[in-house]
Amino acid sequence: MWELISLVLLWVIAAGAVLAGTLAIWIWSRNLTRKMSLLRVFVQVIATIALFVVLLFIPLPWNPILTGLTYSIALRLTIVFVLIAVSTLVLGRFFCGWLCPYALYMDLLSRLRKALKIKYWNLPERLNNALDALRYVLLAGIIVSALVLGVLHPDVWRFVIMLMGPFKPLIIVFLTPIEPLVNQLGGTLGFEMWGTSFHDLSGTIHYFNGELLILITWLVFFAFTALSFMVRLSWCRFCPVGITLSIVNRFRAFKWLPIMHIDKVEEKCTKCGICKRVCPVQVTEVYDEKRGNVTASKCIHCFRCVEMCPYEGCLNIKFAGKKIYKSKNWLKQEEE
Amino acid sequence: MASEIEKGTKYIPEMAQSEIDELKGSIKAASIKVIEDNIERMKKSWKNRPKAMEYFDEISNFFGRREKEIQEQKKAGKKVIGYSCIFAPIELILAAGAIPVRIGSGWYDTAKLGDRIMPVEICPIIRSTVGAKMVSLSPYLELSDAVVIPLTCDGRTKLSEILSDYKTIWLMNPPRVKDDPHTLGMWKEEIQVIKEKIEKLTGNKITRKNLKEAIETMQNATKAFRRLQDLRKGAPVINGRDAMLVNQTSLWDDIGRWTQKVNELCDELEKRVEQKEYSSYPETPRVMITGTPMIWPDSWKVPNLIEESNPQGVVVVDEQCSGDRILYDPVGVDEWTMSDMVNAISERYIMACTCPCFTSEHGNEDRINWIIDRIKEYKVDGVIYYVVRGCILYAMEYARIKRILDRMDIPVYYLDTEYTREDVGQMKTRVEAFLEMLEARVDI
Amino acid sequence: MVISAGIDMGVQRVKVAILKDNQTIAQSQQFSGFEPTKAAEQAFEDALNKAKLSREDIQHVTATGAGVDMVPFADSTVSMMGADAKAGAYFFPSARTVIDVGAEDARAVKCDENGILQDFVVNARCAAGAGTFIEAMARALEVQMEDMGSLSLKAERASSINASCVIFAESDVVSLIHREEPKSEIARAIFDAMAERVSSMVRRLGLNADVVLVGGVAKDVGFVDSLKRILGIDILIPEEPIYAGAVGAALVAAKRARRRQ
Repeated sequence: MWELISLVLLWVIAAGAVLAGTLAIWIWSRNLTRKMSLLRVFVQVIATIALFVVLLFIPLPWNPILTGLTYSIALRLTIVFVLIAVSTLVLGRFFCGWLCPYALYMDLLSRLRKALKIKYWNLPERLNNALDALRYVLLAGIIVSALVLGVLHPDVWRFVIMLMGPFKPLIIVFLTPIEPLVNQLGGTLGFEMWGTSFHDLSGTIHYFNGELLILITWLVFFAFTALSFMVRLSWCRFCPVGITLSIVNRFRAFKWLPIMHIDKVEEKCTKCGICKRVCPVQVTEVYDEKRGNVTASKCIHCFRCVEMCPYEGCLNIKFAGKKIYKSKNWLKQEEE
Repeated sequence: MASEIEKGTKYIPEMAQSEIDELKGSIKAASIKVIEDNIERMKKSWKNRPKAMEYFDEISNFFGRREKEIQEQKKAGKKVIGYSCIFAPIELILAAGAIPVRIGSGWYDTAKLGDRIMPVEICPIIRSTVGAKMVSLSPYLELSDAVVIPLTCDGRTKLSEILSDYKTIWLMNPPRVKDDPHTLGMWKEEIQVIKEKIEKLTGNKITRKNLKEAIETMQNATKAFRRLQDLRKGAPVINGRDAMLVNQTSLWDDIGRWTQKVNELCDELEKRVEQKEYSSYPETPRVMITGTPMIWPDSWKVPNLIEESNPQGVVVVDEQCSGDRILYDPVGVDEWTMSDMVNAISERYIMACTCPCFTSEHGNEDRINWIIDRIKEYKVDGVIYYVVRGCILYAMEYARIKRILDRMDIPVYYLDTEYTREDVGQMKTRVEAFLEMLEARVDI
Repeated sequence: MVISAGIDMGVQRVKVAILKDNQTIAQSQQFSGFEPTKAAEQAFEDALNKAKLSREDIQHVTATGAGVDMVPFADSTVSMMGADAKAGAYFFPSARTVIDVGAEDARAVKCDENGILQDFVVNARCAAGAGTFIEAMARALEVQMEDMGSLSLKAERASSINASCVIFAESDVVSLIHREEPKSEIARAIFDAMAERVSSMVRRLGLNADVVLVGGVAKDVGFVDSLKRILGIDILIPEEPIYAGAVGAALVAAKRARRRQ
């Protein structure tokens, strides 16, 4: 009884803290060119913590036919997957910019790069466009490989994991390298279960793919870390999860679905090019498209373009048809 | 080089020193008189003109305080870098510790001197600038150690040649199509070259620190500039001519001090908004001027007519490189590294620019969007399309803009004129008829 | 009952019209000469006499025309374009374009059925679109100016004269006479040249039927014929076109007088 109450209380306090933090940042942040970015980092941290809590701690509601730790992990992954998919259908690639732990990692690397005054390298336009096309080829490859592997291991519950083909690389590449750290930390803090669950989580996935994959995982992880010091948000441009989610903004059949997108007012745009320049994933549609919904498939909704647009009301974030945030004259930073 | 070209074939013919002195003296006196006259007229049209405007009146006199200040600073070792067009990267000039001044000629009398060496069909601003050089009239041009001339139009291309006989001219090649990556890359290289030239001339290196300060100075100027223009959106608390004067003085004044004075003026105007103390009746027809630049003092001819005629109009916004376009766009810096700052500066100067010297796949849309946005924001009743005879670029864009404004049901009138005072009578008739039209529409 | 007066200070002549309840009751004109203000006074007095009224009976006086600032007794002013628009719609309610060819310049205005000015275009740089051109050409042909019109109608075709600047046309005309070209054909060419200038100006404005022609030149049958031919549209002309400006100004005066009441 008390356990339940204390759990609920814990959640309420946590939620309250998050809300308070959000409001604090929003009200006290003076510099209009940093406000949105600051808020985003905060939300990313909260989301990363929440993701791990869900993956590792939340008790599952029912006892399924097939028991065991591995299964529960699979179910948790499914829950996360469904949440991500639903949020994307509704909000577009909001997950990518605001809730993904890997994006947080990339953003932190970017801030480190900025602090070290290392100049970033913009992909030349032709290369950028070519790689954009390549992403879908990559996605196709991953799905095919997941299907093939699933066929080779016909057990039902593993089918679930196979279905989450695109998500595997995310989890593998991100979770596996930090597993030793988590183990250490968990052990120190007395969370034995923690370490075990983690191991089982990554182990489940590794089960199918073997030791070679672990090596590749580490290599990919370090490669993208290093690349981030030259190309901004390098992983996000190629992330398989991202590519899957970007389908919702790429094809006109789905483009109307998300109720949150970036909107441009044609006559206010002076084509100054700031939006194109500050975009960390080098989206050009926000500049090229003249009016209306200018959300691109590669856009991760970090809203840096909206933040840096110096013309009032030119780029707007629209949610269910209403403008919830407008680009501002950020020169007025003290008055806001 | 062929010996024929080497010796004695400058554009400007030799003139007797006595003639030069006489012309300079008389034109300078006439110009000072026009400046005083304009200020008197502005005061007459605005009964309770704020005291904060007196600073701008003082700076508006080219031959007064500002000339002396620049002379003193030159003696102290600073360099003066002039520029003919608002494409020149001012932040780089400021970062190197030099003084930026715009050299554009607003003297009607010197246009007649320019007629001696080029036909009258040519842009009068060019003829006037050349005429001013012939008698060494412009204090800022004379004091410049180097002049940056972006070759935006044919007239300026040849102007740079004429002036290069007398001054160090740094040419810049702006692309005609500005948003292709290869043309933008070319412009960025031009900026890089100018940066090195500035460093060499002044002997000061442009570092991350001083460039950041220069960008912030200009961002503060933009902030004050926008603050003033925002105050013109409602019922008029400042008349058009006064705002145009404030805007234009930024081109040759010390920018930090200008920013401070504009903020003081805006403080005063904001009080007046609350007290509903207007400079013209709120029902006055609201006019927008678009077209070739109107340079102080003689080109106040048309704004004077607009704001003094019967019925009266008030200029609430303009789309001119001598007015509301000067400081409107800020430099948007993402990460304060040297390369990002220089990148941001190069993009700011041409990307947002609405000059008709640019074109693109869909024509000069930037200008059309600018005009439409301002018409909506400033509740403009009518547009005066002002062109000095000889400007091909502005004249040709009229047809398209007229069709677009017709569709928006905004009256637009093509007002072409010259650098002459003799057509004031005719101009008056046309302006008055246009304002009558606007007044009738306002009534309805 | 509203009695108003309009004074059109043309470059050559001053025209006055007095209206009672928007009906013309008196008109008068005087040559402006070197003292336009005095001429205005005289014309006004003359019109008042014709109407058997005194100054005090006039509720509002509006001046228009090039010399609009030289009428000290005017209560208000209106531009020539505004006066033309009002007059055009007054004479012909279906009028939508009003062309006014005066002594030294020409203009065209667009109006609606209430005579509200909607757009206008001015031709003040080319002398061949104005009345004094006919005067000069009549001198060259040694013909009375009043006879130029009927003379030109006799011709079947027009001679060719210098198409660039019609000031040079004077010397052209002289050489044509020496070549014994019929004067009627030369006269027709002169009117055609004028009509070309005027019509290109009107086309800049946009041609909307019905078209009304006013101003002193509107009485000249030769010019009207050429203009109808070159514009390709029928043209309406009021009975006394030279008073159009004054009548228009008087209509504006009446409106303003009513507003004050």
